Amino acid sequence: MSTPALRLAHDPALGPAGIAPPQVTGRGAGGPAPKRIIVGYGFWIFLLSDVIMFSAFFAAYAVLFKSTDGGPSAHELFDLRNTAAQTAVLLASTFTCGMASLAVGHRSQKWTQIALLVTGLLGLTFILLEVREFTGFVARGAGPSRSAFLSSFFTLVGCHGIHVSVALLWLGTMMAQFYAKGFRQDIRYRFLCFSLFWHALDIVWVAIFNLVYLVGSLPPELLP
Amino acid sequence: MLGKLNWQAIPFDQPIPLAAGAVVVLALAALLVWLAAKGYMPYLWREWITSVDHKRIGIMYCLLAGVMLLRGFIDALMMRSQQALAFHAAGYLPPEHYNQIFSAHGTIMIFFMAMPFVIGLMNFAMPLQLGVRDVAFPTLNSVSFWLTAAGALLVNISLVVGEFARTGWLPFPPLSELTYSPGVGVDYYLWAIQISGIGTLMTGINFVTTILKIRAPGMTYRRMSIFCWTTLAASLVIVAAFPILTATLAMLTLDRYSGFHFFTNEGGGNAMMFMNLIWAWGHPEVYILVLPAFGVFSEVVSTFCGKPLFGRRSMIVATMGICILSLCVWLHHFFTMGAGADVNAVFGIASMIIAVPTGVKIYNWLFTMYGARVRFSAAMLWSIGFMVTFILGGVTGVLLASPAADFVLHESLFQVAHFHNVIIGGVVFGVFAGYTYWFPKAFGFVLDERLGKAAFWCWLIGFYLAFMPLYVVGLEGMTRRMQHYDRPEWYPWLLVAAVGAFVILCGIALQIAQLWVSIRGRAQRRDLTGDPWDGRSLEWATTSPPPMFNFAVLPDVVSDEPYWSIKQQARAQAQLVTPEPEYTSIEVPRNSATGFVTAFLAVVTGFSLIWHIWWLVILGLVGAYATFVAFAWRDHTEIEIPAEEVARIDRANRAARAAALREGATR
Amino acid sequence: MSKPSDFEAGSYVGGDRVPGAPEERTLAQEVRGYLIGLGLAILLTIASFWADHTREIYAAGIAMALLVLTVAQIGIHLIFFLHITTDPDNENNILALAFGVLIVCLIVFGSLWVMIHLNNNLMPMDKLMQMQR
Repeated sequence: MSTPALRLAHDPALGPAGIAPPQVTGRGAGGPAPKRIIVGYGFWIFLLSDVIMFSAFFAAYAVLFKSTDGGPSAHELFDLRNTAAQTAVLLASTFTCGMASLAVGHRSQKWTQIALLVTGLLGLTFILLEVREFTGFVARGAGPSRSAFLSSFFTLVGCHGIHVSVALLWLGTMMAQFYAKGFRQDIRYRFLCFSLFWHALDIVWVAIFNLVYLVGSLPPELLP
Repeated sequence: MLGKLNWQAIPFDQPIPLAAGAVVVLALAALLVWLAAKGYMPYLWREWITSVDHKRIGIMYCLLAGVMLLRGFIDALMMRSQQALAFHAAGYLPPEHYNQIFSAHGTIMIFFMAMPFVIGLMNFAMPLQLGVRDVAFPTLNSVSFWLTAAGALLVNISLVVGEFARTGWLPFPPLSELTYSPGVGVDYYLWAIQISGIGTLMTGINFVTTILKIRAPGMTYRRMSIFCWTTLAASLVIVAAFPILTATLAMLTLDRYSGFHFFTNEGGGNAMMFMNLIWAWGHPEVYILVLPAFGVFSEVVSTFCGKPLFGRRSMIVATMGICILSLCVWLHHFFTMGAGADVNAVFGIASMIIAVPTGVKIYNWLFTMYGARVRFSAAMLWSIGFMVTFILGGVTGVLLASPAADFVLHESLFQVAHFHNVIIGGVVFGVFAGYTYWFPKAFGFVLDERLGKAAFWCWLIGFYLAFMPLYVVGLEGMTRRMQHYDRPEWYPWLLVAAVGAFVILCGIALQIAQLWVSIRGRAQRRDLTGDPWDGRSLEWATTSPPPMFNFAVLPDVVSDEPYWSIKQQARAQAQLVTPEPEYTSIEVPRNSATGFVTAFLAVVTGFSLIWHIWWLVILGLVGAYATFVAFAWRDHTEIEIPAEEVARIDRANRAARAAALREGATR
Repeated sequence: MSKPSDFEAGSYVGGDRVPGAPEERTLAQEVRGYLIGLGLAILLTIASFWADHTREIYAAGIAMALLVLTVAQIGIHLIFFLHITTDPDNENNILALAFGVLIVCLIVFGSLWVMIHLNNNLMPMDKLMQMQR
């Protein structure tokens, strides 16, 4: 056999790991992928696992939708104006987060901080609207311990809200890191993960406002 | 101030847990004192506790599993002896205690023995087999391990402070709801599993990313070892299934803590939904356990038969087929709950179909052995024992997959015998084979073969003695988890089963003796070349143990048995094939206390949640956030190993192998 | 020569530039991409709210229409905000996404199928509790 099975490249142009730069990208046979790809992919898999967790809450919500125990139902409770406001705010914040990604890509400290600040304020508005909705329900005797339907609603939507709150904490930390340490590579990769997270939360909200609020507001006779 | 915690939490009035707890606490204290006195603490902290090296983390996982095997097995001995004594009698374990024992037995064996053992083996071997330096996220790997250990610690704390759940290894409502389980037992279970579940999910993400994105140059998917394929499949199932567990246990936690009505009897709750969701996790879980074990057998069988694995491609297809199918059969755990004939039929057929790819694997192993000169080492014996035992267990599984049969056998000892048959025959034998096979690579010396074989025979004979009678009594109508009974026809079988448990105890004792003897005699049992078994995959190209960076230069892979082909070439020439490479410095990630600190805070937070010490919960969560920020704020994340050091280590490896070739050794 | 700083499992030392990735786009092009995504998402959101109230759609099919609109808008987000592409480095991401979608469908529709059958066949819990008393 002419080519030995273990060939060790020692051309100095090939970098410290002694391996050739990947010619065939994507399939992994060119050696370990660049770090940005690895970090991005790992976080992508985490996002999918998070979506699967949300789907378990969705399944519970769908199963328990009619279990109102004589208490208030979705149709009676949901205020779509609030839902519309929350949707608008979160969608806007996804856009501003995209702008922040561009600012980071172009290494502009000023625009990064501005875009992140706006994103954070929009996100905070979203949370405040949600808290107002929840406390309103509780005051009307429609809290999570009233019925199985309400338990599943508060858990599903509340879980999303907790994710957004944690993301806001992360956002603040990112702002601090960019300010303190500039656009170092590991901070930029961390921010890549943050922006993926923020966009994914808007994706989950799309499912929530459509399938929980809008479907829930339909008159009961129209539901399967 | 301390929530529900008070002195009554300690079981002063129950002699057995009190004595057990006292023994464990004293033994732990003695161990810590000895370690401190001998000055091992700085070494342990620097080299093991804060290590982010996949090899060290893998070893720690296996060590945790070994210790938990002892705890879980003691529970098993207690159950068997109770059932052997409790014919027309009360036995020695009151029902409240017996219920905690079988719950703890299952919980510990699945979550803190089997899972850590397979994850530990995958952690250790997979990066080496891929020809790379570490997993994708080494610090996350450390966090995962320590979170698993935190969960194990919480379960063990429940022995002395409070109580454990009495609801079985899966806490079915309404029994697990606050109304019927008002104590802290179920809460211990919930928080321990949630914490370790996060660790496991992170491991799944880590492994999937590593296998798909970080492989040696030239290693296409088809050239990956079968163990790495099964690791990929198991990790994908972890990513798919563990979020369901997190969500479902969260729902039960909300029911218990905040008066929600997911599964309660009142308020419209639906207890059946818990069954549906928890088994949607629970069935994939057992495939997470068994797929890596199948991978181990593929490696061991091909090595000790001296042949490439038969039917590689069909093996890969079967593995990925099992991966997908395992997510489609969960209802067979509750055929009797009343979904009706059409639903039951669909899931029953799916459950039978999943036996087909497993059968393909068995045939491939058998055909690998056919026509080979089989070396009956201890690892090979575990593999052959597995093939016989697992086939039997699998067949009883297909029997149970028929809803009609299951209506008679559900929750009987027949079912218990089936799943122990496949888990012990499959998973436990698999991790023991992997432990024996990779021990020299991990520690640099070989385990005693004779004691290993003796241990195997005790386990094999003990297993059959312990579990075949359970099939019989199951068919005779005995249900599981019985604290006492009065049917005379069951009694002799349960006596035999108790004897079997004690034979297994001898097997475990022999394994401990094997470890002791091997460590004491390690100078004579050194693995000098790094290849004690005449292996075929890349991990055997490194020294035993490998250097921290695994490979001085990443290998270039052109075949699916990369090490074997170059070894054959070298043997033909009686010298090393590759020239000495140009060594460059290697950057390795710095050790980090993040994992240990996170786990410490997890234990504090979990304990405070269990006992309703709310201020401590908040402190714990704040501490966790601070830990993440501290980790993210690090400026220096790597240390550099200079080229001269790399050269020195690799030259020694090359010299040892060149010497072995010159001697014309058979290795 | 920049200091090689990427260990992480021996990853190839390099900058952010991923070999084989599409060429650098201008700032204007990138902003336009995000704006198109935002515009389409707004359109689909309005469509959803409209569908909820309108008589134009067959009433019993509104829930299904909302499901379709959900999937469409998620697709817009994935393409314009999460930058799912078909280049070789993204293949694994699409495979993983497909896997995730499969699992979500199994869990949601599987659970619904199973639970509806169970609920139909079994006495509601509140009636069962009344029987106990």
